[in-house]
Amino acid sequence: MPLDSSIYTLSALRLDGRRWNELRRINGQISTQQAADGSSYFEMGNTKIICTVNGPQEQKRGGGRDQSNEAKVEVEIGIAGFSGVDRKRRTRNDKRIQEMQYTISSAFQNTLFTHLYPHSTIAITLHVLSQDGSLLAACLNACTLALIDAGIPMSDYIAACTTGSMASYADKEDEADPLLDLNGSEEQELPFLTVGTSGGEDKVNVLIMETRVQMARLEAMISVGLDGCKQIRGILDGIVRAHGKKVLQSKVS
Amino acid sequence: MAITILPPTPAALPYRSTSNPYTDTASSSEDEDEDSMDIDSLPTGHQAHSTTIITPGQTVTDDPQWMRGHGTFASADSTAIRSTLAGTLQKTNKLLSIVPLRARYTPEIGDLVIGRIVEVQSRRWKVDVAAPLLANLMLSSINLPGGALRKRTSVDELNIRAFFGEGDLLVAEVQSLFQDGSASLHTRSLKYGKLRNGYFMAVAGTGGGAGVVRAKRQIFTLQTAHGAGEVDVILGVNGHIWIAKHTAEADAKSEAVGVNRLEEVANASMYSSQNDDISGETRREIARVAGCIRALMEGGVKVDEETVRRAYEAGLEMDEREGEAEYLGGERGRGIVERVLAG
Repeated sequence: MPLDSSIYTLSALRLDGRRWNELRRINGQISTQQAADGSSYFEMGNTKIICTVNGPQEQKRGGGRDQSNEAKVEVEIGIAGFSGVDRKRRTRNDKRIQEMQYTISSAFQNTLFTHLYPHSTIAITLHVLSQDGSLLAACLNACTLALIDAGIPMSDYIAACTTGSMASYADKEDEADPLLDLNGSEEQELPFLTVGTSGGEDKVNVLIMETRVQMARLEAMISVGLDGCKQIRGILDGIVRAHGKKVLQSKVS
Repeated sequence: MAITILPPTPAALPYRSTSNPYTDTASSSEDEDEDSMDIDSLPTGHQAHSTTIITPGQTVTDDPQWMRGHGTFASADSTAIRSTLAGTLQKTNKLLSIVPLRARYTPEIGDLVIGRIVEVQSRRWKVDVAAPLLANLMLSSINLPGGALRKRTSVDELNIRAFFGEGDLLVAEVQSLFQDGSASLHTRSLKYGKLRNGYFMAVAGTGGGAGVVRAKRQIFTLQTAHGAGEVDVILGVNGHIWIAKHTAEADAKSEAVGVNRLEEVANASMYSSQNDDISGETRREIARVAGCIRALMEGGVKVDEETVRRAYEAGLEMDEREGEAEYLGGERGRGIVERVLAG
């Protein structure tokens, strides 16, 4: 466990030189693919994701159309073999991927105005090109951008980020610092959670934690996470506005 | 001397690199909010939009005098109208709605659409018109060969594939809308029906800048150069476009036909899937029109009769000036768009 030993306590700088409450470089593009209804490219540090949205459209396979009065949100995640450090072959029914798909789908099912499109399906496809931590958070942000591009009504942006807690040992309780936006190596060492909120209301849509952490640290982690989500929402909003400005400029009236 | 390393300051600035282009827009979004609050000065009507972008979740106004239209919602506990889309504000008297930058086509009654048959059922077809749901085309809402007064029999039901089969393209009009927003089509006019002798292309859906816009005329004929004769262009409101060789049959259709003539015209060739002979020159000009429309789309320019005509002329001029080239994208495409915009 080299990570949480000496370096951080001395300089209070993380491995990549950030302080505890700093995000990584975030970059995004909208309308990257013409053929899809909506598409986006999103980078959170070295985690890079392509997202495409197709729909709402009537489901083609499967006999008989569903009688529900809401659109279904279907998510498919493809993790490229070259994206991580180990070249692991992931099958279609990998449990981790399935859970991420379900999480994203249920988060957007509640935020999109699905009742406007009865009997139809909104298909979201995510391609992970490179992963370096905060995978689920980056996926959620990429989906938000692509769904906005597709012109599907939603009550607000879903913005997500991860937070971790420094020093995983109980004897260093007073030094435990919450960390914002973990990268890949930090994620392997530290307990962390993913939080996704929609907009200014600070309504939490996603909150997932797979590691164990002392109860006392959780509150600090969540509050740092909420603040991070607010920052990310601002950045996403900037991306959408910059894109919108570009579209309006090229428009003839 | 010992080196002391200071602990981090509790509230460092949130991360924003100086080169980040979004910083400015994000920080100035407050000002833009103020601009968009100025709803009173916004002209009312279909063509008028605000020039500021509104994004999902943004409060458009909290003045209770306004009504909320498409693309807006109000949370249960307040009167504030908030946006659900990224787009521009449109005001129709007291109704505020958001026009999205880009969205899928939503059918409206009277729209001319081009669709593809995806399913044949016992008395109707399911047609893909790029809408959220497949559209319906009833056997009773097509013209049968043999005239308008011909009775529909069970034989027609059995031979339903003789009219349209899976994969056939057709042009139709939206006759009515169902409760769930799906469209019911009809082809009960000689303008409508099966498409052949041409080239299909799809441009992005409605909204924002690009795409096909609803106009007075969606079907028009271009007089093409190089002895290729005339080319018909059909601009479906759903973003599907058909570019075809102009035939004598189409001429007969465009004449005002009485009920008696109708019988002669609505013959079996209406539902033929066999293409006529199309000369190389005509194919070339059809491809040129398609390239021009694609250039318009990539340049973010709306597609209607006027822009297509202008783009075609610009394309011809460009060929004369710079010599023939196969490809109308990239630099040449931008050139065409510039000429169209220069008007």
